[in-house]
Amino acid sequence: MINSFCRPLSKASFVFIGIIIIIPITCGFLGFFLPSFNYLPILGKGEFSLNYFYISMNIPGIYKSIILSTFTGFVSTVLALFFSQVILLYFFKTKFFNYIKIIISPLIALPHITMAIGLIFLLSPSGLLLRSVSPWLSGFERPPNSYIFPDEYGFFLILGIMLKEIPFLILVSLSALREFSSKKFFDLGKSFQHSSFSSWFILIFPIIYKKIRLVIFIIIAFSSSVVDMSLLLAPSTPSTLSVRILQIFQSSDMDSFFIASNLSLIQLLIIIILLIFWIFLEKIVKQKYFYIFFIKITSFKSEFLKFVILCFGIILFLLSFMGIISSMLWGVSENWYFPNFFPNDLNINGFLSFYDQNKSLIFISIYIPLIVSLLSISLTIIWVELIDYLNIKKTQFEWIIFIPLFIPQISFLIGLQSFIIFLNLNSFLTPLIIVQLFYVIPYSFIILAPAIREVKSDYIKVASSLGKNRIARLFKIKIPLVLPSLLTSFAIGMIVSFSLYLPVYFIGAGRVTTLTVEALNLALSGSKQDLGIATFFQILFPILLLITIAFIIKKTIKWKFNFN
Amino acid sequence: MFLKSANNLSKIVLKYFFICNFFIISPYSNASEKKKDWEIKASKVSGQTIFFHAWGGAKNINSYIKWASDAVKKKYNLTVKHVKVSDTANVVARILSEKNVKKNNNGAVDLVWINGENFSVMKKNNMLLSENWIKNLPNSKYLDFENNLSLLNDFGVPTEGMEMPWGVSQLNFYYDSKYIKSPPQSASELKNYIIKNKGRFTFPQPPDFTGTSFLKQILIELIDDKSSLKSEYVDHKHKNALSPLWKWLSETTPYFWREGKNYPPNYLALTELVAEREIDIAMAFNIAHASNAISEGKLPNTVRSYIHKDGTLANVHFLAIPYNSGKKTAAKIFVNFLISPEAQLKKQDKNFWGDPSVISVTKLDKEWKNKFSILPRGIATLSNEELTMKLEEPHPSWVKAIEEGWIEKYGSKN
Repeated sequence: MINSFCRPLSKASFVFIGIIIIIPITCGFLGFFLPSFNYLPILGKGEFSLNYFYISMNIPGIYKSIILSTFTGFVSTVLALFFSQVILLYFFKTKFFNYIKIIISPLIALPHITMAIGLIFLLSPSGLLLRSVSPWLSGFERPPNSYIFPDEYGFFLILGIMLKEIPFLILVSLSALREFSSKKFFDLGKSFQHSSFSSWFILIFPIIYKKIRLVIFIIIAFSSSVVDMSLLLAPSTPSTLSVRILQIFQSSDMDSFFIASNLSLIQLLIIIILLIFWIFLEKIVKQKYFYIFFIKITSFKSEFLKFVILCFGIILFLLSFMGIISSMLWGVSENWYFPNFFPNDLNINGFLSFYDQNKSLIFISIYIPLIVSLLSISLTIIWVELIDYLNIKKTQFEWIIFIPLFIPQISFLIGLQSFIIFLNLNSFLTPLIIVQLFYVIPYSFIILAPAIREVKSDYIKVASSLGKNRIARLFKIKIPLVLPSLLTSFAIGMIVSFSLYLPVYFIGAGRVTTLTVEALNLALSGSKQDLGIATFFQILFPILLLITIAFIIKKTIKWKFNFN
Repeated sequence: MFLKSANNLSKIVLKYFFICNFFIISPYSNASEKKKDWEIKASKVSGQTIFFHAWGGAKNINSYIKWASDAVKKKYNLTVKHVKVSDTANVVARILSEKNVKKNNNGAVDLVWINGENFSVMKKNNMLLSENWIKNLPNSKYLDFENNLSLLNDFGVPTEGMEMPWGVSQLNFYYDSKYIKSPPQSASELKNYIIKNKGRFTFPQPPDFTGTSFLKQILIELIDDKSSLKSEYVDHKHKNALSPLWKWLSETTPYFWREGKNYPPNYLALTELVAEREIDIAMAFNIAHASNAISEGKLPNTVRSYIHKDGTLANVHFLAIPYNSGKKTAAKIFVNFLISPEAQLKKQDKNFWGDPSVISVTKLDKEWKNKFSILPRGIATLSNEELTMKLEEPHPSWVKAIEEGWIEKYGSKN
């Protein structure tokens, strides 16, 4: 009786959720796709034409911007992937291996711009690094007149993206490593007289790669269209394509919306081309002769090469941590001018007044991620349960969930914004939360859905034979079993939401603003003390969250199952 | 649904009633009736919230706006939310897109801090409350509209009462007197200084407001026919007029900070560069900027300001109400407070903002006159006498030509 009623209802809700996901994605896409072909009837443009492509291509320096975006996107992904594997392989089978996850967790938790700000504090001509050698070694009484940072070719942008993506890639590789007997593979390679390097890259890496392929694609899409990091680390004459889109969109010209839409489409094309190129590279690397070539060049067991690569990896980590430390130091400093290595005065007045003036900002910066992440895990659970209940076996269509991560954020948001204005909403918070969900659900889903689906059917069968219905089974069996994944997914969801810049910038429209947006404004206006303080709060929140979650997991999970 | 539209209807009726009231009664009524009328209006806005979109990059300005919001909250129970904007062009773009999708009421913006090109775009596209409202505000009696024409002209464009003057700015330069004895006081002296001191000069990257203004300053100093700047920029007629500016830049740019391949994003970023001694000379539009930075501990107290011999760009900044604001009366109440002697005095106070007042002291009574006369000036703020040489803003259409030319020649070539 109940069943006959439930089934159509849940079928309806399955369709309903599907539509809810698809409609905004379609709107966001069409919102920039159509205007880029001069089509937007509401503004009296009803004829398709290619004139905006012509205008876009004649913007001064636009080719440079396109090349810069493509270059930084590709190189940072390749280097991040390489160094994540090198760091793993040299620590694999050492006692440090167990600590890697603890070291990288805080780095993953930090917003992207925090890392960029750290690099500025460290590497700019008046930064901590040059201060440490001035004037006693360098002879600089004042910051050198150099054109090093940010550089012309986007190397610092690449460095910034790498520092953020290497820990992320290490994390996903670690969980991939746990899924097969990696240690045996590694030993097998060694027994064939391969170096650790080549045994890793020939035997283990291909298996990891298959499991983290989606993540790599996401990183390519992200790093070739990132806005917040580019604003701080990319060259400015001209900047990356994504920054130029933002600048053009912001100008008060009527045409600028169409030009920005058109460039958004070009930004999307860049990502598609990069992905196609990447897949082409995969095909080449799979060839037999490439293996032979690879074994030949890596067979020498050069200690020196190993040393160099390892040093580079360690320097990367040190840069991250030093950057964070110097941000904090600037937060408590006063009258700290070049070339002093330490501030003349230390006090926390800046902190107190910042906190006092920005209480509501800090509150909303935590409130939004909390709501978004809770909604996101609830929706994920409902979705997985619905699929299970309706007995849908093929779940390939779930890639739809990941679409928002592949459309450049700036393009998608430009497209969505016109629809949101059209809807004439008077709230700014609700649309912001909904838009953030699109960026958070993929992460909740990727962590939580496999965990729920892997719960052994035996437990479920036992529970149902005891007369427990679906709801009871979900809350009494499944959720307790996947609690660690649930909590992790919750934390990641909050962290992703906390660090989002563009959605808050566009959808919040200044009415709703968060620490991340404020920190970027401060970074651009050059007040190092305020910036240090804002950065401190940005570091504090994710770290506290991680500690809390770790604590809860430790306290609540008193027993452990061996799922294998 | 029905209730809502009925409510809207009654609001509209009420609004028209008030507007009519204003036009019919106010010209014939005496001052006390006008005041009474205003008090009735003020009582109507109790409990409302308005969104004031104003550039939010400077801490002292933000806290001044906070102070003013607290004051009207106390006085009229009116809540003012300061929406901190990074570039006023964004606000114009937002209102424009609202206009495009025909969101003609309850727009996101109730009041905007504006001048120059942004005003001219909004005026041209009919995006502002178009009635001549400024003289209806009681406190407008303190402004000398008859004698001070700059209060009714924004970069040469007549305001037609669509925006209320809020403050006065003048481009000024600052330097550390500990290291530099006599700063360069004209475009050509500055050129020599830049070439002699490689890497120690820069300006905010256009289209930043201050950066573009600096280019305008150089252009005004070098252009042959200064009168052409008064008229609208026409490409085929005026293209050559810009060439002295491009020549000046082509000689100096290689000697800029970071070889002119990177520029700071705004004028605040310059402060830090002077403090760290990365650069020697910086600029701001707020005449009290250097003094404020000194008292905040962001610049050493040996920093001083100066202007060029022939004067520097001066302009008035304004407050305007978008055509689609749902709370126009409340916005006017707030504007009226912002031009009151109390608010203007606080604004001119170097401990708050240091922005010169727009009200004319001669129109004040003795008590307020006295309060204005004893206001101390910051250590690095120029006196009124030192600031007498003022240059008029070119027609706003020149901004686009300068910005686009600069971006093409220097902003996208590396």
